[in-house]
Amino acid sequence: MKILKKTKEALIKTISKARAKIKLRLPKKSPPPRQRVAQEAKEAPSFYETAISNTKFSHAQEGYFTPLRAQDLPHTYDHDRIILQVRDPRWLHTYWEMREQTVQSFKGSLGENFYRAKKVLRVYDVTNVIFNGANANRFFDIQINDFANSWYIDTNGPGRAWCVDLGLMLPDGRFITLLRSNVVQTPLDGPSWVTDEEWMIPDEMFARLYGMGFGLGKSSPVGGAWQERIKQGLFSSGLSSSPVKKEVKERSFWMKVDCELIVYGATEPDAKVTVQGVPIKLRPDGTFTLRYYLPDGKQFIPVKAVSADAIDERTITPIVTRETK
Amino acid sequence: MHKGYLCLVLHGHLPFVRHPEHENFLEEDWLYEAITETYVPLLSVFQGLVDDGIDFRITMTLSPTLVSMLSDALLEERYLRHINKLVELAGKEIERTKWQPEFSSLAQMYHRRFTHARETFQRYNSNLVLAFKKFQDLGKLEIITCGATHGFFPLMDVCRPSVRAQVKVAADHYEANFGRRPRGIWLPECGYCPGHDEILKEAGIRYFFTDSHGVLHGTPRPKYGVFAPVYCKGSGVAAFGRDLESSKQVWSSIEGYPGDYNYREFYRDIGFDLEFDYIKPYIHPDGVRINTGIKYYRITGNTNHKEPYVAEWAKEKAAEHAGNFMFNRQKQAGYLNDLMGKAPIIVSPYDAELFGHWWYEGPLWLDFLFRKIACDQDEISLITPAEYLDRNPRNQVVTPSFSSWGYKGYSEMWLQGSNDWIYRHLHLASSRMTELARNNPQANGLKRRALNQALRELLLAQSSDWGFILGTGTHTSYAIRRTKDHLLRFTRLYEDINANNIDGNWLADIEYKDNLFPDIDYQVHQ
Repeated sequence: MKILKKTKEALIKTISKARAKIKLRLPKKSPPPRQRVAQEAKEAPSFYETAISNTKFSHAQEGYFTPLRAQDLPHTYDHDRIILQVRDPRWLHTYWEMREQTVQSFKGSLGENFYRAKKVLRVYDVTNVIFNGANANRFFDIQINDFANSWYIDTNGPGRAWCVDLGLMLPDGRFITLLRSNVVQTPLDGPSWVTDEEWMIPDEMFARLYGMGFGLGKSSPVGGAWQERIKQGLFSSGLSSSPVKKEVKERSFWMKVDCELIVYGATEPDAKVTVQGVPIKLRPDGTFTLRYYLPDGKQFIPVKAVSADAIDERTITPIVTRETK
Repeated sequence: MHKGYLCLVLHGHLPFVRHPEHENFLEEDWLYEAITETYVPLLSVFQGLVDDGIDFRITMTLSPTLVSMLSDALLEERYLRHINKLVELAGKEIERTKWQPEFSSLAQMYHRRFTHARETFQRYNSNLVLAFKKFQDLGKLEIITCGATHGFFPLMDVCRPSVRAQVKVAADHYEANFGRRPRGIWLPECGYCPGHDEILKEAGIRYFFTDSHGVLHGTPRPKYGVFAPVYCKGSGVAAFGRDLESSKQVWSSIEGYPGDYNYREFYRDIGFDLEFDYIKPYIHPDGVRINTGIKYYRITGNTNHKEPYVAEWAKEKAAEHAGNFMFNRQKQAGYLNDLMGKAPIIVSPYDAELFGHWWYEGPLWLDFLFRKIACDQDEISLITPAEYLDRNPRNQVVTPSFSSWGYKGYSEMWLQGSNDWIYRHLHLASSRMTELARNNPQANGLKRRALNQALRELLLAQSSDWGFILGTGTHTSYAIRRTKDHLLRFTRLYEDINANNIDGNWLADIEYKDNLFPDIDYQVHQ
């Protein structure tokens, strides 16, 4: 049990530490060196995968999109509802909407109190209970502003069931529920403590399998050197969080220059033309255009035309020199 | 001696991007690039193995939206136009780079590959679904389905009828295309919520995948970790957990293969590098520079300085990396076999489009890996999940944990400041769809068409790709438009159906635009 707990805590710590360091910045258009992604990704595969997955949706220059007509979605749907959903083992997200009619009726029944009340979200821990409004294991309140219509809630409670009321806290301490959400369940943030008899597993063995699942298995013979690097990576990322460290910004100014050569001409449309000995195709009017990347050095470009009856022949040879300093 | 199984899974998916109303639509390139760079090269690998008598197994998602696009006549025709232009461009490049042998050989390589892609495409009657089906029928490839439009199920949990519709529409679509029910499903983004397995069971699906922590954090504790599937409590549907070690070997920034300096650099494309007038006919008609797929450089190193790509070196690296991957799986399987006292299954899933597209040498690596596994050793063997379950029917019963394979492992990629606004609209549309299905149990004619189209629009709005693009924060305008367009179409249909005032012309127009799932039945949204 000890071993498992230690491993688990260490794992969660190291993993969350690694993740905390990552800012979600994804590669932009050229020239976005992949190294930047790689460096920031450290050892969180899901980040790296996200960045790479984004390349599947390749895009043109920034800001360009195919113009479509613009139309907006309604701001409200004239409903009374509050929806709760799970973001991760710790955080919930809720959004709500109230009909004007409903607001008016609360105003009517609460009178002056309505205006003096504070708007709050009451978050109930309803794990293992069928919630009736009064039997929660515990609850806590979050004061919100009048204009909010959604909120992220830090429950700090993995593996528990939650329900949220949007409500009013009256000056006399009474709480009035305006809307009640659905119930959600946050996942565990580690292995379950429940084991089943038929499929018992010693803790130490599970710790090894668990570690391997995350690619960190201490006893796994696989990728030993790689594990060392992860440890180093985590260690150095810990250091870099120190505020003393100055970020050296990589300067990104750049320039490039290339040369291309266009060779063009014309002859009788039915003539046979070769350039540097290679036959080329003429346009129907007897003209031609060729385009080459021009490397440094001297290029001899003999252009030879032979008449259709093979009697006349002309050769013209441009000589081009490129020198780059 | 046999030690364990390796289950390779490629998740093939693209959102439905089809815009008949525009002659040239930039985002359709996602499909064209994937055909040229991923699907055709993978099919060529499969064909080569079959020709050489090499036995192999691979599991692959073909998402319903991808299948719909691959078998759509308009997109097929546009792909041909696209690949014809690429062949032409590569031809011009061979000439332009005449005095630069290191580039001209690459131009020739692209010319060969593009020509081959065109031939392959035409050989299968312009429908690559038939090509994939062929390898499934040969018993080498197990094609699995996905959510109908790749909706992220955990954030649809408050409207389970939509989860059901995603699964049922997908399973029926699969059957229509592949001639049998799907055995497995790739839950979009690996997003699993306890209870959704019941919906899979209703659709006759036997297994799905989760990320590692989906199984590892299941209750009760899974005896074999992720190295054996578990049966979901209640439904009995099997869940296979991802092995992160083999995933990291491909994707890790440190050890990951695709970052090797000999491999092709993704970001240097002649669409951006070459002189404007020359490249203009091959980029967007509005003069917007785009990737053409012709890339001449290798990763080279850590700076912006890039050296020309050398195909031979990259090939050697791919072979070396395949050997390394296999060696590590042998060691892993041997170790696990001792620990577990039985043969482990190592599940290694990857996004299919990253093979060939991002990691240009990915298909080649896969080819080497298959050949080495078949010829060089007998410790690990390839297997599909269905085969594994047939051979190992007895597995532990566990409730897997809510999880996804996205950033941070849960819902955050699709639920953050930049994209959380969509759920207010999506959830409401879901409940309206349920209401429509309930209030119109037996609609006919125009009304039936409107109800079916309402479900199509809802499904299209639910694609996790829109939320993903919004979450990455780059080039979000298209994702916003798509979310809004489908929701607005849905809302108008909802209102028109309720008012019994359906505009037949407008309905025909959106049926023509959003034409996927021809056999959809709105009654599945219950």
